[in-house]
Amino acid sequence: MVKFILKRLGMMLIAMFMIILFTFIIMHAVPGGPFTNTKGVPEEVIAAMEEKFGLDQPYYVQFFSYLKGILHGDFGPSYKYTGQTVNEFISSGAPVSARLGGVTVIFVLIAAIPMGIWAALKNGKWQDMLLMALATIGVTIPSFVIASLLIYAFSYKLNWLPTYGLDSWQSYILPVVALGGYSISYLARLMRSSLLEVMGQDYIRTARAKGLTEFAVVTRHALRNALIPVITVLGPTIAGLLTGSFVVEKIFAIPGLGYYFVNSVSQRDYTTIMGVTIFYAAFLMAMVLLVDVFYCMIDPRIKFES
Amino acid sequence: MKKKALSALLAGALAVSLLSACSSNEPQNISDVSASTADDTSTAATAEAAPAGAQEMTFVLNNIPDGLDPGVTNNSFAQYVLINCFEGLVTYDESGSLVGGCAESWDISDDGLVYTFHLRDGLKWSDGTPFTANDFVYSIQRVLTPSTAAQYVSMVTGYIKNAQEFYDGTATADDLGVKAIDDQTLEITLIQPTSYFIDVLSMWVYDPVQQATVEANGDAWTSSPETYVCNGPFKVTGMSLNENVILEKNENYWDAENVTLDKLTFRYILDNSTALTAYESGEVDGIISIPSSDYARLKAEKAGVQVYPSYGTVYYNINCSVAPYDNPLVRKALCLAIDRQSLIDNVVQVDAEPAYSFLAPGYSVDGKDITEGRSNYGLSATADVEAAQAALAEAGYPNGEGFPTLQLSYYQDDTVKKIVEAMAEMLKNNLNINVEVSSNDWAIFYEDVQQGNYEVAAMGWSADYLNPMSFLPLFKTGDSSNNSFYSNPEYDALVEQVMSESDTAKAAELTMQAADLASKDYCCLPLYYKSNSFLMHDNISGYYMTASSNLYFKHVVVS
Repeated sequence: MVKFILKRLGMMLIAMFMIILFTFIIMHAVPGGPFTNTKGVPEEVIAAMEEKFGLDQPYYVQFFSYLKGILHGDFGPSYKYTGQTVNEFISSGAPVSARLGGVTVIFVLIAAIPMGIWAALKNGKWQDMLLMALATIGVTIPSFVIASLLIYAFSYKLNWLPTYGLDSWQSYILPVVALGGYSISYLARLMRSSLLEVMGQDYIRTARAKGLTEFAVVTRHALRNALIPVITVLGPTIAGLLTGSFVVEKIFAIPGLGYYFVNSVSQRDYTTIMGVTIFYAAFLMAMVLLVDVFYCMIDPRIKFES
Repeated sequence: MKKKALSALLAGALAVSLLSACSSNEPQNISDVSASTADDTSTAATAEAAPAGAQEMTFVLNNIPDGLDPGVTNNSFAQYVLINCFEGLVTYDESGSLVGGCAESWDISDDGLVYTFHLRDGLKWSDGTPFTANDFVYSIQRVLTPSTAAQYVSMVTGYIKNAQEFYDGTATADDLGVKAIDDQTLEITLIQPTSYFIDVLSMWVYDPVQQATVEANGDAWTSSPETYVCNGPFKVTGMSLNENVILEKNENYWDAENVTLDKLTFRYILDNSTALTAYESGEVDGIISIPSSDYARLKAEKAGVQVYPSYGTVYYNINCSVAPYDNPLVRKALCLAIDRQSLIDNVVQVDAEPAYSFLAPGYSVDGKDITEGRSNYGLSATADVEAAQAALAEAGYPNGEGFPTLQLSYYQDDTVKKIVEAMAEMLKNNLNINVEVSSNDWAIFYEDVQQGNYEVAAMGWSADYLNPMSFLPLFKTGDSSNNSFYSNPEYDALVEQVMSESDTAKAAELTMQAADLASKDYCCLPLYYKSNSFLMHDNISGYYMTASSNLYFKHVVVS
């Protein structure tokens, strides 16, 4: 297992290097730079800024000095926000996104898996129809629409819940529902179809034939296998929720990482683009690795060596 | 400046109103900056209501500034913090008059070259340390240091003696025209007797910054409340990157006894409809940006719409360096083909006046707006199809025949997109030409505009300081802000004369001659003169906004 993890870590390093390289190339290939400005800033000032941040150096020099910085855990200064570092952006934005994401993940798990199981067990009955109709709506309606409707109903019309921020427990409710809506629907559908498939397997019939209760059949035999596809998508889903959704964060004015992820691109804030991309990629890779390790724990048929 | 020129117009830079460079410190009333809009619900007068309840409020901003260092940034989104936390030598009062800030009074030499400022007694930084004339000397020298990368540096190098030389390293601090005579006396020497220097001086690039904190913390001095030392009515006690900046009353401000508000939270909410919901449900006290689709409703409901005149123009650049747009007749045809009133009423849906020139009204000399009575250059609020087609025919394109497809470029922004689509229709229908619309994100769009890689492009201007000189360089040959590539030696000469004219009335006359010249040439496609509007609940009073969009909170009272 240690060997497996080490091997995967090695591959992740290579993948990370490629991500950094390609992001760097694409970023510089896009026209426009961080110091494009409306107010007619003199050329000499732009030159002074470029010199200050080393943008006057050849690309390969910039690239390697950036790599060196990363190895020291330094993502560099923001080119766009005077006096701020990318490390500060991440350390201030990521915990906020993670707080919202963490609550959403718990909400998604608590809601989606029982929903999927229940729908599978009531296959074809009205409960199944209702849940799957809801889930279909949840998958198809984008989060910003859900968010706008929620704000309109609960903040504007009823005035029950705060419109923006993440300052009280009430303020979590709307963004969590908006952010989790899609994941719940998607996972519930996946859980249902996966469980239905497993329930048709021979070994389930065997278990039933042994005289086990339906409860024991589902929990002890069916669920473990049915969860595998769910866990596969759970890794990236959790990574996505924890690192923030730009849309939901923007609508609810939540000061998370999503803002930097999107705005740094339109502002050509090179170091921020790189820093946030690397952070997100590393997080995603870690989650995928965790999922792989988790597979082996729930399904003995999967071996680390394979 | 942040991003979009249009939204930039909502914000703005430093303003001024003042004129005559006579040597006195008397507040000089300029113009009641002629309001382009009728119902100025001006709450400007200092509220007399006795403070009741907590003197705290939250105001929503919809854009995050690129920095909070007054010496470095020219970003209009930074103004809310900078205007309320710093005070330069001069500032503005409720009536829009330029008055002393740190300077109690000033004298101007007879030749108009030397300004001597007498600072107030007992000035202090927000950390309690003493504040002297040397702090201004340090701050101006810092702006003139290339590694500071001051974006407004030309506002200093263009006026102060040896400032450009100091920036280039060919002059020493002794040569520079900024000197502390003693702790309370500052002397500034100009290159030429510029009549509007005092207006320029109100810009935040001239604000003092504290040497001790800048040297101890470098660029990072602006990123934490502990190191953000300032000298204005408020100081920063909390900042959270893309969430908020919290200001509290600065007890060390010279006029602290007249500051009632204890706590002012600037909350960033980038989504305008969320901000509006927060405002309407009473969670916040005011918001800076009103979604245009809700504007009419909010006004009808008397929901707290505040309208202030703004010294700015929304216009479209026409690239005067490429055919066929190098022909003034073609530009005239474009200007005539636009129905401005329809754009204002049906598309933008704001309070605005149709514009026929790039130079906005709002600057007065001797109580008279200098733009009063000027020509409308043959333009009118609605489109004049016949005249437009006649101009196009005269230019050699009868009924639009043979006219190449017009490229109309804009940057990604919902409001701008609506304007562009409406304009494209008007140009197509009224001139019988083909119009192709293209959009890009701001960085790419603006780079194209700067390089002249466009034909007609969305733009606009809001004055950095309340003087028409803020507009004139836009069409001066070789100026870095001249993205229209309009070039007229006669215009350039007039602008040069304005810069060296010490008499305000004469400067105004020359200004109008220059503006007439360029407007007659249809140097751009003017749409409308802007006003600023924001929302504030009735229980807040005492705030005021200058014509350059600076919003002052120092006299706010919450009732």
